[in-house]
Amino acid sequence: MRYVIIGGSAAGISAVEAIRSIDQKGEITVISDEKYPLYSRCLITYYLAKSIDEKKLKFRKEDFFQENRVNAILGVKVEKVMPEQKKVKLSDGRELTYDKLLIATGSSPKKLGIAGEDREGVFGIRRIDDIKGIEKIIGRVKTVVVLGGGLIGMRDAYALNALGKKVKVIVKSNRILSQMLDEASSEIIRKVVEKNGIEIITGLDAVEITGDKQVKGLKLDNGSKLDCELVIIGKGVDPNTELVAGTAIKVHGGIITDGYMKTSAADVYAAGDVALTEDILSGETTINAIWPCAVEQGRIAGLNMAGEKEKYDGSMSMNSLTFYGIPVISIGITRPKGEGFEQILQKDTERNIYKKMVIRDKRLAGIILVNSVTQAGVYGELIRKKIDISSIKKGLLDSNFNFMKILPLVQDNMDSFIEKGFQDLLLSCGK
Amino acid sequence: MKPEERTIDKATKKMLEVTECECIETAWDRYDAMQPQCGFGTLGVCCRICNLGPCRIDPFGEGPQKGVCGATADTIAARNLVRMIAAGAAAHSDHGRDVARTLLLTSQGKAEGYGIKDEQKLRVLAEEFGVKVDGRKKEDIAKDVAEMFLAEFGKQEGELLFTGRAPEERKAIWRKLGILPRGIDREIVEIMHRTNIGVDSDVMSLLLQGMRTSLADGWGGSMIATELQDILFGSPKPIRAKVNLGVLKKEKVNIVVHGHEPTLSDVIVSAVQDPELLKLAKDKGADGINLAGICCTSNEILMRHGIPIAGNFLQQELAIATGAVDLMIVDVQCVMPALATVAGCFHTKVISTSKKAKFSGIEHVEFNEEEALSTAKKIVRMAIENFSNRKSQRIIIPDETKDLIAGFTAENTATILGGKYRATYRPLNDAIISGRLRGAAAIVGCNNPKIMHDYGHVEMAKELLKHDVAVVTTGCSAIADAKAGLLDPEEALNYCGKGLREICETVGIPPILHMGSCVDISRIMIVLSNMVKEGGLGNDISDLPVAGAAPEWMSEKAVAIGFYVIASGVYTVLNPSLSVLGSKEVTSVVYDRIKDIVGGNFAFEEDPIKAAQLIIKHMNKKREALKLKPMMYSKD
Amino acid sequence: MKKKIFCAVQLCLACKGCEIACAVEHSKTKSIIGALKEDSPPRKRRDVQGSKETIMSIACQHCKTAACVVACMAGAMYKDEEGNTVHDEDKCVGCGMCIMVCPFGVITRDKNIVLKCDLCPDMTDNYACVKACPTGALFAGTAEEFKKRLETRKVHEVKK
Repeated sequence: MRYVIIGGSAAGISAVEAIRSIDQKGEITVISDEKYPLYSRCLITYYLAKSIDEKKLKFRKEDFFQENRVNAILGVKVEKVMPEQKKVKLSDGRELTYDKLLIATGSSPKKLGIAGEDREGVFGIRRIDDIKGIEKIIGRVKTVVVLGGGLIGMRDAYALNALGKKVKVIVKSNRILSQMLDEASSEIIRKVVEKNGIEIITGLDAVEITGDKQVKGLKLDNGSKLDCELVIIGKGVDPNTELVAGTAIKVHGGIITDGYMKTSAADVYAAGDVALTEDILSGETTINAIWPCAVEQGRIAGLNMAGEKEKYDGSMSMNSLTFYGIPVISIGITRPKGEGFEQILQKDTERNIYKKMVIRDKRLAGIILVNSVTQAGVYGELIRKKIDISSIKKGLLDSNFNFMKILPLVQDNMDSFIEKGFQDLLLSCGK
Repeated sequence: MKPEERTIDKATKKMLEVTECECIETAWDRYDAMQPQCGFGTLGVCCRICNLGPCRIDPFGEGPQKGVCGATADTIAARNLVRMIAAGAAAHSDHGRDVARTLLLTSQGKAEGYGIKDEQKLRVLAEEFGVKVDGRKKEDIAKDVAEMFLAEFGKQEGELLFTGRAPEERKAIWRKLGILPRGIDREIVEIMHRTNIGVDSDVMSLLLQGMRTSLADGWGGSMIATELQDILFGSPKPIRAKVNLGVLKKEKVNIVVHGHEPTLSDVIVSAVQDPELLKLAKDKGADGINLAGICCTSNEILMRHGIPIAGNFLQQELAIATGAVDLMIVDVQCVMPALATVAGCFHTKVISTSKKAKFSGIEHVEFNEEEALSTAKKIVRMAIENFSNRKSQRIIIPDETKDLIAGFTAENTATILGGKYRATYRPLNDAIISGRLRGAAAIVGCNNPKIMHDYGHVEMAKELLKHDVAVVTTGCSAIADAKAGLLDPEEALNYCGKGLREICETVGIPPILHMGSCVDISRIMIVLSNMVKEGGLGNDISDLPVAGAAPEWMSEKAVAIGFYVIASGVYTVLNPSLSVLGSKEVTSVVYDRIKDIVGGNFAFEEDPIKAAQLIIKHMNKKREALKLKPMMYSKD
Repeated sequence: MKKKIFCAVQLCLACKGCEIACAVEHSKTKSIIGALKEDSPPRKRRDVQGSKETIMSIACQHCKTAACVVACMAGAMYKDEEGNTVHDEDKCVGCGMCIMVCPFGVITRDKNIVLKCDLCPDMTDNYACVKACPTGALFAGTAEEFKKRLETRKVHEVKK
C-alpha cells in the first residue's frame, strides 16, 4: 500500500501516526513545500518573540520520520493532483503515484490586494521563513502596524510587543477578537493589552502601504497616515486548493469531504485547514482552522486510508489564548445571532473574570471564559455531546463548577459518554 | 446556587442578588468554596487533642480503628462532643459572669450608666435564696445577690443554686446520676481535664460529665445571665417592634449592635437618646439616630426596649452590604471575622468592644462597665461622624419589614395566663389536659448555610402550630419566625389548629412566644418546672408533652443548650446532626439510649416538617402515658 | 500501562489528604514542612469534588484517545509506549489548548505552563495520593481489579 500525504503539519503528521498504528508495512511519503519539518505553525509567534527556540518549536522528535519509516520530501511543492491517474506532480518535475492520497496542504494568509503590499517589510506570520524574513529587518524597525484584530493579528502584536517594538493594531471592526469574543470580553482583553503598550485602533482599514523599496508607512481609509517599518497582515487565511483546480476533486472554498474525510475523488482524502467539514453546532459545512481539528481530521483520514471506517464527529470552533497572564477560552457559538438563544453571564471586573454561557434548546451551544478557564473542557464536552443541561443550568456559572457537577448528566446519558475515561469514572461511583 | 435557593427571606434574597452582582463575598460563598467538607470531621472521628495525632478513624472499617493512644471512634467522638459542650457552656457562663459582675459594680455605684431597673424581681430573687430584703436598700440587696451568684462560678462542692428550681423528681434523677453541677467553672475545667489524652475514655462517663457541664450552663451561667439581666435592665413585657433589613433608615444614622451581652447593647440604647448626640446627628444632616440589632444582643434590647431587629446570624454581612450602616458595634459570639472585609467595601465602621473578642481589620474601642455610658456615647459619636462618609448613591435597603410581638418571660406568661393578681400556669396545663393544646415546643438556635436560611425554623413552627402545639422561641430562630410574620399574632393565628387558636384568642396570647436570647432558654427551663409544679401533667419535666428543636444550629453553644435540655428530660430534634455518626456507641446513646437515663434524648431529622412530625408523635406518646384526654380537634 | 488510579465514591470522605500528598510529592523537599518554606508553594494535580454522598478525588484519566494529546500544539502532551498520557513540562508553552479540551477539567495553569497528574515519576512503589488515602478510596490497578475490590470491600452504610 502506497500512502502519499501532501503537507507535513498537524493533519499530515497525525495521519502518519494513525496509519502506522494499523499498518506497519505500507509505504508512506510525506511531501511538504517547507524545508523545515515537524514544526508547530501555531507556536510561530512564540518563536518570533524568542520565548522558544527552533528545537522547542518542533512538535515531534527529530527522528519522527525515521521512527515511522516515512519518506519525507521537503522543500518541494505539489503543483497538481491527477486523481484519474492516481498521480501527483511535484515542482521539481517528479511524478509520484499513490494508492491513497491525503491532501493536507493547509492554508495561507489572505492577501489584502492593496497597493504597496509587495514592498519589503510586509509579512504574514505563518512560516519559519516569515520569521527569518522579519529577523533580517527587525533591527531597523521601530514601529509595527498589524492589520487585523483577530486571533492571528493579536498574537502577532503580542509577540512583536514582547520584542520591544511599538505596536499598533488596525482593526476593521469596532473591537478586537470580534469573531471569537463578545463585546464584554473583547473589552477586558483590550484593556489588558493596551495597559501593556499595544495600541488598538478600531473601525479603520488600510488602503495603501507606502514607502519605497522598503515599507515606510500606511494610509488608512479615513485619510490618516501612520509611520512604520514593518507591516504584518493578519487578516485570516485561505485554504491552499490550487493543486486540485480543474480536477474532479470538488472544492467550495475548501475541499469538500464526507463524514470520513474522503473527497469526491476515489482514494483521495483531505484534512486540516484545507478541508471543509460539518460544524457540529451550526450544521454548516465550513473550515474550522484550528490545530485540534486538523489533528483529529488527520487521524480519522489516516485510519480510513489504512482500511478502517472511522466517522468524523464534525468540527467545532474553539480557541485558547493567554495575554499578559489573562487566559481566555472560547468554544462553540459565542456570538449568537437569530432566535432561540439564551445567554447567561457573570462578570467580576475587579478580578477580570468573565463567564458567558450560550444556550440553545436546553443545550450548551457556546462559552466564553476569561480568567477562570480550568473547567473549559467540561463545558466543551457538554457542547460537543449536545447534552440537555436543564437540571444543572443554574449552577453553570458557579465558581465551583466542575466535573462532578455534571456527573448526573453523564449517568443519564451514558450512550454519549462511551469513552474509557468516563467509563472508569462511572465505575468509581459503583454504577 | 441562586439567591432564592439560599433563603426563604425576601430581604436576604434581595441582598444576595446584590452581593452576587457586586462580587461581595458572603458566608454562603465561603461555604460553597469549602465543599466538599471533610467527612472525618463531620462524623466526629478526627482527633486533634494531642500531638500523637492528628488521628483519623476509618468509618468504613478498613483503615485504623484506633488513634495512636488507642482511642476508638467512640472515645474520639465522645471527647469531641463534650468539648463542644464545654465551649458552649463557657460562652454562656462567661456572659453570666459578666452580668453578675456588672450587677456588683452597679450596686457599688461604680458602673456608669447602669441601674437596678427591676427592684421587684431583685427582692423576689433575693428572698428565694435567703438574702435578707426587709428594710434594706436595693443596692445592698443587689450587692449580696451579685456576690452570691458570682460565687457560683468558683464553687467547688455542693449544688448550683438555680438547680433548686427544678422539680424534685428531676433533681433526684440528677443526684442519682451524680450530674448535679457543683460549680460553673469547675465543670467546664473538668471536661477539659477529662478530655486530655489518657484521662476519660469511656463514652458514658464522658457524656455524664458533659451533661453535668451543660446543666451548669442552663441552670447556672445562662440562668444567672437571664435573671440578673432582668434585674439590671428591666424584666421584659410584651412589646411591639419591627424586624428585618428594612428597619435600616436612609435618612438616619444607622447603628447596628451585634453580639450577645446587653451590658453593652442596653447602654447603647441609653446613649442614642442623649440630646447632645441627637443634635449632632441633626447637624450632620441626619434625621435622627436609628438603632437596630443582629443576633442575641438584638433580642435583648428588643425584649426590653422594642428596638428593631435588622436580622439574624446569616444576615450580618448583608446588613453592611446595604451601605446604610454607619457603625456596627460588636462584642462577643457569632460575630464573623469576615465583617472586616465586607465593611471595607463601604464606609461602615465596625467597632469591637470586648477585650475577649478582637478582630483583624476591625477597630477596637474597649468597653468596660466603669465607663460604660461615656464609652457608649463616644462610639455613637463615631457613628454620627461617619454618616457623612456614606456613598449615598449606593444605598440598597430592601423594603422588607414585619411587625412582631416579643417580650415573654416565665413570669409574665403566668400573669397573662392567669391575670395580674393570680399569675398561674393553670390555664396552660388545663389546655393541654383538655386536649385543646397538644403540648408546647421550643424552637431555638442559629442559622447555617447547610440549611436553607430560615426555612428550617419557619416550616417547623408552621407544622407544629397546625397541630395545636404552642411554640416558644428564642435567638435567631425567633428572628426567623418574626421575619416570616409568625410573631405577628394576627398572621400567626392563620397557621394555628383550632385548639391552639381557641386558647390564644381566649387568653389573648400569641401562638408563638418570643422569649428572648439564647441565654433566655433558661426561662424555658423555669416554665417547664412551673408546669410540673402546677400539676396534672406528671411529676417531672420528662412527663410533659413538650419538645425542643434546633433546626439550623451551628454554634457550640447550641450543643451545650441541647444537652441541658435533654438532661432536663426534654426530647430535642436537631439538624444538622451532632458530629458523632462515626461512632456507633455515641450515636446510639445520644439518639436513643440516653432517654432511659435522663428522660430526654436527641433525634436527627433533616426535613423540618418531618422533624415536626417526630415532635408531634413524641407528644402523643407523652399524652398517652399521662392518660390525658384525646386531642379535641386535630386528631393525629 | 502504569497502574491507573481509581476512586471509590462510597469510600471518599473529602479529607483532601490526597491533594496535600500530591502537592508535597511534587515539591522540591517532598516534605510538608519543607514545602511550606519553598519559594513557590507546590501545586496539587488532583482535585476532590462533589458533595454529600457523592465525593470523588479526580485527576488525569489517561484517556485512550486523549483529547489533550490531539489538541497540544507543542507536542508536549503525548502517549508513551505504555499508554500513559505524559506531559513534557519543558516542551510546554502554556497555550492552554489542552485545558480547552480536557473533558474532566483536570489540567490546571501554573506559572507559564500547565500541570496534570504525572503518576508520580519519582515514586517506584505507589502513588502519593493512593498512599495517603486513609479509607482506601483511592486504588491503583486495572479496571477489573477495581471492580473486584468494590465487590469484596463491602462498605456498611455510613450516613454523613
